[in-house]
Amino acid sequence: MSGFTASSSRIRVVETIGSVDETVFDTDDDMPHIVGTTYLASVAVDFDNLTQTVSYVGDSCIATESLERVNVYNPSVWSAFFVWTPSSYDWYYDTYTAGFMSFDRTYTPGFMSHEWEWVYDPCGYTIPYFEYSVDAEEYSSVTNIADLPTDEDGTALDVDFVIVQATGIRTTGGKDARFDQSLPTTVPTKTFSFQGSLLLESSGEASGGSWFRRIMSVYPSGSKLKLKVQESVKSLSRGAYDSAFPHIGETRSTYSFNLKVFFGKFRQ
Amino acid sequence: MAIVLKITPTRFRASDSKLDSQRRYIRKVSSGEDLRFVNGQNMDVSGGGLRYVQPTGTAVDDGVYDGSFIGTTGTRIKV
Repeated sequence: MSGFTASSSRIRVVETIGSVDETVFDTDDDMPHIVGTTYLASVAVDFDNLTQTVSYVGDSCIATESLERVNVYNPSVWSAFFVWTPSSYDWYYDTYTAGFMSFDRTYTPGFMSHEWEWVYDPCGYTIPYFEYSVDAEEYSSVTNIADLPTDEDGTALDVDFVIVQATGIRTTGGKDARFDQSLPTTVPTKTFSFQGSLLLESSGEASGGSWFRRIMSVYPSGSKLKLKVQESVKSLSRGAYDSAFPHIGETRSTYSFNLKVFFGKFRQ
Repeated sequence: MAIVLKITPTRFRASDSKLDSQRRYIRKVSSGEDLRFVNGQNMDVSGGGLRYVQPTGTAVDDGVYDGSFIGTTGTRIKV
């Protein structure tokens, strides 16, 4: 049943919804409250250009055709032939000799001769070929962007949660190293809130797998509010020889954020 | 005139209705939460991939991430 109770150090309010008593407020629970608010204007986030490396892959053959004097060996040859000896008649002795066939052959020895001809060489000379790849990189930087709220003695409070309300713009739109188009950014154009981390940019391979990520995180640590900026790049091959990544020098992205940071605690 | 304290059989209001039984207030609980507050870094990148650590503490990778980030479990909140 809805009700209010106050006893010694406890205040409790119960709201009955249907037949269920739901606690609206109970000082025995850890109730959240904001212990400090900080405004941070023009917080800069800067990602450098990516880099690429060219690597020797191999040599490719270039076919040639040249007019050259070449030795030609003419092999030895046996020539066989029949020889017909015609009949004859000797009037003096009155003798007749019949004609007949005989077999004879001649031998021509082998010899060398020379002649000019076009000679084709499928690998007359070679030229090297190269492949470009985006360099793998793991970048991380952590900066203090604010002090945490303090108590009366100036000691930083151990805050239990931080809520960041932000507006941000991408002041430099980095391009995908492969294409003449900006990397998609997930930063909305209007005010948004987040706790922890925020994905800023990403890109995938043709197969769909991720190769590139840029994120930022805002969180308390010690007596400071930290901004951590991270970039992770997996080496990416060009997929074609002797062709550099055309937009590698335009991959830098910069952001500017206005942050309203709420520091909260559940108990004093 | 501001309401300092008003109690009726079905409603409790105090401090100019900053506390009102018809509103829902959030509070930290040990179980039965409706949501969680994240209080730290909850994403990490490595090897060109991304790990997202849910408020429950469960890590969700993109299949490329090769790091070892753990993250923290969010604070349980009841509405």
